[in-house]
Amino acid sequence: MAKKGWDEFEIGAMLRTFDGKIDDIAGTQQEDRAYSENSSYTASVADWRLIKPIFNKDYCIDCQFCWIYCPDVSIIARDKKLIGVDMDHCKGCGICVEVCPTNPKSLLMFPEQADEETEIASWPKKDEEEA
Amino acid sequence: MSEMKKIKNLKEFSTSADRFEGANLLCPGCAHSIIVREVLNATNDDLILSASTGCLEVCTAVYPYTSWDASWIHIGFENGSTAVAGAESMYKALKNKGRLKQPERNPKFVSFAGDGASYDIGFQWISGCMERGHNIMHVVLDNEVYANTGGQRSSSTPIGSSATTSPAGRVSYGEKKNKKDMVSIMAAHGIPYSAQVAPNKWKDMVKKIQHGFSVDGPVFINAVSPCTTEWKFDPKDTMYITDLSTDSLVFPLYEIIDGHELNITYRPKNVVPVEEYLAAQGRFKHLFKDEYKYLIKEWQERVDSNWAYLQRREESRV
Repeated sequence: MAKKGWDEFEIGAMLRTFDGKIDDIAGTQQEDRAYSENSSYTASVADWRLIKPIFNKDYCIDCQFCWIYCPDVSIIARDKKLIGVDMDHCKGCGICVEVCPTNPKSLLMFPEQADEETEIASWPKKDEEEA
Repeated sequence: MSEMKKIKNLKEFSTSADRFEGANLLCPGCAHSIIVREVLNATNDDLILSASTGCLEVCTAVYPYTSWDASWIHIGFENGSTAVAGAESMYKALKNKGRLKQPERNPKFVSFAGDGASYDIGFQWISGCMERGHNIMHVVLDNEVYANTGGQRSSSTPIGSSATTSPAGRVSYGEKKNKKDMVSIMAAHGIPYSAQVAPNKWKDMVKKIQHGFSVDGPVFINAVSPCTTEWKFDPKDTMYITDLSTDSLVFPLYEIIDGHELNITYRPKNVVPVEEYLAAQGRFKHLFKDEYKYLIKEWQERVDSNWAYLQRREESRV
């Protein structure tokens, strides 16, 4: 979309989040919705991030603490299972890692350029002292 | 659709489809969006929302983007609550005339506002909504400062906090006035439900929000929302700070039904000293200088007496 400047703003502008008619938003998961170009779902804040969370599903117990406490709707949970992190919307705050109760944590923060597979392969071992 | 959504545990809650989108421009680690998500996910009904000017409004509606998947309106700093109240009145009128296309749908009317837009600027308007008895819910995202404009003090800012218009320095310890007790003021309107909530106690929060949706009449919710920028802590510590705020009883969690029946809904097993809560935040760091140490003692006494007051009120049911 050709972005309008602030001085071309229409007074009383109305933005529609979806293309076409959606009857039951609360029952439709994000991947099934027809977002319009005005929804911030189609935008990205990935460039805000200096560190990123990496999710290791081997240790996850699906407690969903990270899902409820994620401020950016970036933890993707479907059918009561955690399936990953939405890297377009994650700002790298690190709350998910702080609230993760497993030992070792199933989410850890790494520098943005870190490679997911290498980090998962060298995941820290269980910390006996803390437990 | 009008029956209440059943949320037994977090796994069940996590099947909710979010109606608040990412890529909003709130700071990393902002508690505002955690609160908003918990409120919106507490129901499956349609939502009619407003936001008063504040962080939430400027960050979620940056032209040409919107982060809301529901009807949402922003008008002025003060009248977010009134906008929703107007929509509710219209809905009621159209329903009475039988002109609604889908009368079986039972939308919920929620207005979000910061503490500046509720405690100070929008106070009269909210009071009006509560007095007129609209069937709306007003949620305050209480970060105790005008965070959107650079951290000026509001009437929610607590004693000793350093804000840009009440800075701490050689001659002053920062804000000198105590925080307004907004929940009690709103309860004094005789509204059916008013409550204080915190995002870390999600179950308590969802229960209160659902109760708020189920009653007929205005509902006031005060939610503590730690601000990484103005409270000066690391973004990853948002939930830790919220835990401290509820466990130190600085933000006790309670509800007031029909303006008089007070219930405490969360009693911490281990009460944390207020000092720990203050020490975790940069806005209170000057209180740990020798000349201002007496303020920490006063803080503790104030929090203790407030907790004793709440307990007395709970016992006597007045």
